[in-house]
Amino acid sequence: MMLKLLTKPMRCLAAAKLTRYASSGSSQPSAEHAVTETTKDETVVPVTKALDGWAGKLKEAGVEDTDFNLKCIVSHVLQRKFNTVPDNYANVSFNSSQLRDFERFCEARCARMPLQHIIGEWDFMDITLKTAPTVFIPRPETEEFVRRVIEEYRESEHIDMLEVGCGSGAMSLSMLHALPHVDATGIERSKAATALAWENAKLLGLHQRFKVYNHTMEENKYMPEELKDKQYDLIISNPPYVKTMEFQYLHPEVVVYENINALDGGPDGLRVARLVFDLACVHLRPGGKLWLELGNEHPPLVKTIMNLKYEGRLRFVDSYKDQYKRERFVQIEKV
Amino acid sequence: MFTHKLFNLRCRSLMRKYASQTSAAASSVRLENEKLQKYLENLRGEYYALRVNTAGNSHAYARMARLEGVVNALERQRALERNLTSKHDLDKETDEDMRKLMEEENEVYTDLIRKQEEVILQELLLLADDENYPAVIFEVNAGAGGQEAMLFAKELYEMYTNYFEHMGWDFEEYAYETTDIGGLRHANIMVNDSQAYMWLCNEAGVHRVQRVPATEKSGRMHTSTASITVIPRPADFQINIAEKDLKIETKRASGAGGQHVNTTDSAVRIVHLPTGLAVESQSERSQLKNRELALKRLQAKLLQQQLQSAESSKQATRKAQQGSLNRNEKIRTYNYVQDRVTDHRIQGGTLHNISGFLEGGDQLSRLIERLQLEQRKVKLASLIEMWQPPSDVNN
Ligand SMILES: C[S@@+](CC[C@H](N)C(=O)[O-])C[C@H]1O[C@@H](n2cnc3c(N)ncnc32)[C@H](O)[C@@H]1O
Repeated sequence: MMLKLLTKPMRCLAAAKLTRYASSGSSQPSAEHAVTETTKDETVVPVTKALDGWAGKLKEAGVEDTDFNLKCIVSHVLQRKFNTVPDNYANVSFNSSQLRDFERFCEARCARMPLQHIIGEWDFMDITLKTAPTVFIPRPETEEFVRRVIEEYRESEHIDMLEVGCGSGAMSLSMLHALPHVDATGIERSKAATALAWENAKLLGLHQRFKVYNHTMEENKYMPEELKDKQYDLIISNPPYVKTMEFQYLHPEVVVYENINALDGGPDGLRVARLVFDLACVHLRPGGKLWLELGNEHPPLVKTIMNLKYEGRLRFVDSYKDQYKRERFVQIEKV
Repeated sequence: MFTHKLFNLRCRSLMRKYASQTSAAASSVRLENEKLQKYLENLRGEYYALRVNTAGNSHAYARMARLEGVVNALERQRALERNLTSKHDLDKETDEDMRKLMEEENEVYTDLIRKQEEVILQELLLLADDENYPAVIFEVNAGAGGQEAMLFAKELYEMYTNYFEHMGWDFEEYAYETTDIGGLRHANIMVNDSQAYMWLCNEAGVHRVQRVPATEKSGRMHTSTASITVIPRPADFQINIAEKDLKIETKRASGAGGQHVNTTDSAVRIVHLPTGLAVESQSERSQLKNRELALKRLQAKLLQQQLQSAESSKQATRKAQQGSLNRNEKIRTYNYVQDRVTDHRIQGGTLHNISGFLEGGDQLSRLIERLQLEQRKVKLASLIEMWQPPSDVNN
């Protein structure tokens, strides 16, 4: 709670920056750039000119990968697909309203608003997802996690899958996209995330095989009422696993802009994961699997927990490395 | 097997269509040709010998299956010939009406025999196709002429991918490098179809375009080029990239990762340790997509490297394949001013309606069929020329 209060002013600042130019009409953020008049009311600025100075400002604000950030913003402003915009921006220019947008977005990025929130969408595996303020932004490690799970189930029979904490829907929806024989149900504690996941499902045309419930998994109330007797073949989850202690070291993009409930895994990072274990005992079919993405110190711990506390109910199958060779994925089986 | 049948049918109708356009090279291939007769008789002998002895030997069985078409056609021909009434018998016939009837009958049979000869020739041509590859790597490269050449390369790329679809082939793009104004520097496509090589091999070479570029203000006509390379992938060929041989480099390699950070860079670079080949991709926002793209690029590079070295040694010994890998031969001109496409390798190789041609549908398909037929005739002629009757060998 304390943390939330502390970070609020910063969030407001960026939001203010994001709207400042929108209302101010033709103020002259572009005066310092060389501007070419082509027709009377249409001012055109080459992108290469518009970029002037921004890389430096972003770096100063602590943003890494500035070129990539700028290219994402430019393609968003131009409403072009990222991979169709040339790296050297040859022959690409902004009109005056695009230029205003561009500078507004760069300012917001300097205030460390996540790039994915600024441009309102992000790519995850083969799908593009909308993003929304406070909803967790999918990470590249999770792509590797989902890739593994997809490989595991590529040839299987029909699969009834549950995802605990589906956020924007990234994991479930990319599974559904890749595997036509999967049906997925998500539960999610955040209202904003629940709505976003459903919107993404509809945008991707996957909503017929997807259901999402706004529900907070708690001890003895693991599932929403209507699913309390339901069992699944597969449960996946990327539960919050950041240790409370670690919060002070996180980047502003994460700690300021993402919902703390999406990140906070308690003192050892496994608080929510333990709830998922208990849920799996009840809601997995015998032989069904639970796949989790966790922090890299967690898999050995989970193995111990399985052996000590879940014997005869759950069995630790194996752990796997992400693309950076950090061991962070686990597979568990319902006995 | 079914496609093979279809293919045969197609060739036959083609054969009829172009029977009148026999080229110089093919004129040596006539059924009266004594050497050809010997060759046919030899194939027939081989076929019957195999039929008696093939039990369990799949190699021999395959050969027999290949010979079957020619031999059956030959037998039918012989049967027809037996129906002819000989000159001797005609002369012996005293009844005028009867003789007339016999003569008329002979005419009918002669006609049928001529047709059957064509069938035999066609079967022989098919037999001369000894290449059989499950897939090819098809490359488009912009050549001389700067941006204009790249725009042309892009048009060729579209034409051929349309053609692949027209033919119902499965294909996969490996590398695709575009330019800022929508041109194409280079593309690499794997076409997964055992018929692909046969039809595409004659497309390899330099394609030339003559037109006033869209970017040219003075209205001057330019000549630019793009080249096509067709590299067959032999059946036993495979690239296995072991995970341990790969070094995958991304920017986000230190720290806790996962939920702890939100760095956005998705660029991926892959080094193939055994060969030192390096590829990268940063054209997508998703890191996994970039990794997939980079891996495909690597695979294409490795394939290409290995195929080219394997192929160059083979080339020396394989006369039949000559030309298919020749990048420098100017094979076709696309002249916009006259709205024509001219293939320089065949007589009467000029077609009109460039835009129709570039759609990669029937027009291109028909030209490819013609080229294919010509090439086969040449091949058959040289095959028979080089063939030594077994008895000569013994001498
Ligand atoms: C790290 S995010 C993962 C989101 C998504 N699966 C992804 O990978 O992008 C964790 C999600 O779990 C949700 N969550 C946390 N605790 C929960 C609980 N007890 N019940 C349901 N959802 C929960 C959070 O709101 C958040 O959306």
